[in-house]
Amino acid sequence: MTSWKKAQSRAAPWFLLPALALLAMFVVWPMLRAFGWSFTNADLLAPEQARWSGLDNYSDLLADPRFRRAFGNTALFALLVVPIQTVLAFLLALWVNRPEPAWRWLRAAFFLPVIVSMPVLAVLWTILYQPAHGGETGLVNAALSLVGLPAQAWLRDPHLALPAIAAMSIWQGVGLQMMVFLAGLQGVSRELLDAARIDGATAGQRVRHIVVPALRNTIVFVITVTTILAFRIFVQPYLMTRGGPGNSTLTVVQSIYEITFLSQNLGRACAATLLFLLLVGGLTLLQRRFTREERT
Amino acid sequence: MRSVRPAPISAFLFLFLALVGTAGCRRDDPATAGVPLVRVWCHQGQEAENQAMRAIADAFNVAHAGRARVEVTFFPDFQYNEKIAIAAAARDLPDALDLDGPLVARYVDAGLLAPLDAWFTPAELADFLPTIRTQGTIDGRLYALGAFDSAVVLYYDRELLAAAGVEPPPSGRGWTWNEFLAACEKLHASGVEPVAFHMNESADEWFTYAFSPVIWSNGGQLISSDGTSVRGVLASVENIAALQAWQAVFKNNYAATDPVDPDPFGSGRTAMDWSGHWMAPSHVRTKGAALGAMPLPRVGARSVAPCGSWCWGVSAQARHPELAALWLKWVTDPQHGIAPIVRANGAVPARRSALALFPEYQNLPYRLFREQLETSAQPRPRTPFYATLTQRFAGALRDIARGDEVAGRLQAAEREVQAVIDRRRPAAAPAAVSFSP
Repeated sequence: MTSWKKAQSRAAPWFLLPALALLAMFVVWPMLRAFGWSFTNADLLAPEQARWSGLDNYSDLLADPRFRRAFGNTALFALLVVPIQTVLAFLLALWVNRPEPAWRWLRAAFFLPVIVSMPVLAVLWTILYQPAHGGETGLVNAALSLVGLPAQAWLRDPHLALPAIAAMSIWQGVGLQMMVFLAGLQGVSRELLDAARIDGATAGQRVRHIVVPALRNTIVFVITVTTILAFRIFVQPYLMTRGGPGNSTLTVVQSIYEITFLSQNLGRACAATLLFLLLVGGLTLLQRRFTREERT
Repeated sequence: MRSVRPAPISAFLFLFLALVGTAGCRRDDPATAGVPLVRVWCHQGQEAENQAMRAIADAFNVAHAGRARVEVTFFPDFQYNEKIAIAAAARDLPDALDLDGPLVARYVDAGLLAPLDAWFTPAELADFLPTIRTQGTIDGRLYALGAFDSAVVLYYDRELLAAAGVEPPPSGRGWTWNEFLAACEKLHASGVEPVAFHMNESADEWFTYAFSPVIWSNGGQLISSDGTSVRGVLASVENIAALQAWQAVFKNNYAATDPVDPDPFGSGRTAMDWSGHWMAPSHVRTKGAALGAMPLPRVGARSVAPCGSWCWGVSAQARHPELAALWLKWVTDPQHGIAPIVRANGAVPARRSALALFPEYQNLPYRLFREQLETSAQPRPRTPFYATLTQRFAGALRDIARGDEVAGRLQAAEREVQAVIDRRRPAAAPAAVSFSP
């Protein structure tokens, strides 16, 4: 080891120290506290009076029909969003992956919703989804009527509210994944594609046999990130439906918020958060098992 | 080769962070050194309201120079209650704080507030509107007092009503629900949208606040009188009947379930407006002499009005409780506190002597606000479970407006609220604390 390298390895811990200290203080320590509180009946307004309650919070939550509904809704949301958003982002990326400057505008247009604040979009889409009332209706229903479909009460129909919010979320988020795919596409070998074309491969064959295998790691990344983001859904349903109608758009994060700040039941809220972490973490690990990245 | 000297850099970084961390701390101003500081928290309102609050605090500091000094910190309205909860958990509450009226019971239940009875004389208290005293009274003791109260009335456009052949009730009286529906029917037939219920309001509280009077007017309740059970109360026969009557307004298309326009009455779209005191200045301006106002229609025998607003309390851990109480007396003083804040936010002054400072309270619609608060207004239930109760009740109202079957939806809300109550740790409900009205 050269003296330079030695100096580097001596220096390393000192440079890591601030980051590690902050991580320990703001991530590790709160998580340990949450873990501890989840076995107590802690009240948010008086946590020091907490008493040990064993696994009560966990067994209670798992038996609570409202919390189970929230899990079911969130899982259904992820099931709707992840495949559609990933495929759509991939197709959009293929479509706009052209060098001519004019296509930049299209790329920007698809990316725009990602950078607009979610509350603004939620209000906008609430207006778009407006049901018919006294001869007036939202744009979505107006568009449907052009193709002869009946108007729907999108956000107030228990069967349509969650899919409607999922559609809006896909529209909002697809631009980000498209950008990731676009970046990945730049790494696909031109020579290979040209060779395939000369050998008579159709566009579909080229995508299937060259582009998709080359983008394997990107696809794994996109699916993983989209899954995590989908499970964290909160703002759209909270602002557009408040979890209604009934509990049909209630999500896990909203119910954690309610347990924390409305019931102010800190112990239960910590248990709910840890259950949520376990689920998302477990799912991510499971996904990575089945869609392992290729390392070179 | 130059070697990096990590330790000094790291030390410098820590020093820097430490300096940044302490930069916000105040240095003692020699003029105020030794004068006890009263920390005051306040929710952020409209800018005019915040400026008025700052001016009130400045005037307090001038009037009490050498004795006490207040420092008012504002927090955004939409996360103020969360902020209080977090500060309570960290034992970091200020001396005096602004509180949302219906949440006072929960803070008292958690032991965060000190009683105020000792600081106000019976004569002073008698000057406050009864609704404000009731709102702040938990288990027979006073914990909060406000500078202003609120009101909801049924505004109407005399010209639109006359054009549809609808006769408004005599001044100061409201309609029965059937009279209200009959009026809506006539207005509907005349081609105007009858009434605005503001179902697009994003806050859950609007629904509980504005429409609980419908069930109260039919003899119903949201929660048992002691505030500890909704079983058989929230989905009672009276409540179901009252909300079926309420639902009829939407079923007959008399009010929009998903409106977009925030002020359909002001823009001439609806003939009546189920709305609060905050719309009075704008309605008076746009409608002029055509503006009428009546108490809310009643389902049962009794006409009931909503009330309640932000109020002030003293923290149980206040370092200077007597000075915090001094601040409370200042913000609820007719001249120094109530007049400036009410001029800024347009709410209803909470003291009779302060009402005398506002000549508009001789005329409609303002006169009606005062009459309601004196006679027919009912504060929202004082229960530690209010936050959950209001959210689930608001959810039920939204669904009922959109056509859900009333009994089933109320029963679902009742089950959910009761589950939250039953799950409450037993330690938090000592036998000595009860919530009798």
